[in-house]
Amino acid sequence: MNSISCADGQPMEAILERHPREEASLIQVLQDVHRAYSYLPCDVLVQVAKALDVPVAKVFSVATFYKAFSLDPQGKTIIKVCTGTACHIRGSGQVIEEITRQLGIGPGETTSDMGFTLKTVNCVGACAMAPVLIVGEQVHGGVKPAKVAKALNQEGHRDAH
Amino acid sequence: MNTLIVNGRHVKAREGAMLLEVIRQAGVSLPTLCDHAALEPWGGCRLCLVDVTRNEWDGWAKMVVSCMFPAEDGLIVRTDSPRVVETRKVVLDLLLARCPDTPLVQKLARDHGIEQTSYQPNPEPTDCVLCGLCTRVCDHIGVSAIATVNRGAGREVAPPFHEAPPDCIGCLACAEICPTSCIPFTTSDSKRTIWGKAFEMVRCTQCGRAFITKEQAAFYDGRNGVPASYFDTCDECKRRAQAQQFSRLSAGAGR
Ligand code: SF4
Ligand code: SF4
Ligand code: FES
Ligand code: FES
Repeated sequence: MNSISCADGQPMEAILERHPREEASLIQVLQDVHRAYSYLPCDVLVQVAKALDVPVAKVFSVATFYKAFSLDPQGKTIIKVCTGTACHIRGSGQVIEEITRQLGIGPGETTSDMGFTLKTVNCVGACAMAPVLIVGEQVHGGVKPAKVAKALNQEGHRDAH
Repeated sequence: MNTLIVNGRHVKAREGAMLLEVIRQAGVSLPTLCDHAALEPWGGCRLCLVDVTRNEWDGWAKMVVSCMFPAEDGLIVRTDSPRVVETRKVVLDLLLARCPDTPLVQKLARDHGIEQTSYQPNPEPTDCVLCGLCTRVCDHIGVSAIATVNRGAGREVAPPFHEAPPDCIGCLACAEICPTSCIPFTTSDSKRTIWGKAFEMVRCTQCGRAFITKEQAAFYDGRNGVPASYFDTCDECKRRAQAQQFSRLSAGAGR
């Protein structure tokens, strides 16, 4: 596990303001924290535990249970390639290979400039569009390896502004 | 009072009882791993499953985990129907694949006719059957220092961030309750360690024996009306003192 340095506490305070301070808020708070920091920093988890009066062990349990949460720092943009059955059959493997060729990262890895994290996901429920590639919030359907560069650039472009 | 039929025998059930209790009352034994008298039922191991039906269900039956199913009036329970026996075997077969080297699991499996798992044995054998007793007992005492982490095949019991748990008071309840004794700890007159955390011991002011950790004493101090002085002496010395007092009193009464 990565050792994670102290994060900026400001976003977390704003998040805690928005939710009732009770155990039932835990998942929503974690989702907001994940959105704000792109991952769940451990010192933030400890503070969430205190604020909601939930044992840290419980918070860690929930944080490690859901695939949508990461405890390791992630890239600014998350790339998700669907490897569900339909996407697999229609060539998601080549899409991954192409991303790896362009960015030098495999599934689960992050580029050294913290720009991108590549993840594989199972069926995102859009099989008719297989293979599906999601870059940031942008969903691309019927992706061919040749289209990968454009999809990645679009996102990089957006970041530049 | 509710009356049920367990494997053909009529049994009366206490109000609020779960099926498992009534089944045992009927003298029928069922294997269980996650059930414990001191803790709420959890339904984690799935070994206690049985078939239940009712006269008016026209022969239809459903499989339920008996430790969590209320013993309602008129239920007809079978612990040995072919599909229950078969399903229990699948559960044990999977458990043996997870814990191929664990004596307790091997014995349970053997008792149900399984010598070897029919699945791929776990390449990283573990003794933890994920019964959740350790985390639940820790919750029960009000500490919650450990919990299950991750999911699926990677699920395990661990302290937060896999580091020495700040909340742990070193009571060893988790290690004691573990059915496969797979939580390592050390304890001596001066030191105790568990979950990678070290504890200093409190010694009895009478006999000098170490009996609890400083953290335990601090945890119970003032809780449930326990005064700090309660931990000056160990249970044994307390018992002795009490016995002496009783014998003094009864000697006085006899005169
Ligand atoms: S030793 Fe620690 S983890 Fe185990 S039950 Fe006691 S407080 Fe909980
Ligand atoms: S460590 Fe022991 S008590 Fe805890 S879940 Fe595993 S087998 Fe059960
Ligand atoms: S398999 Fe990819 S969307 Fe269904
Ligand atoms: S004893 Fe019922 S599920 Fe474990």
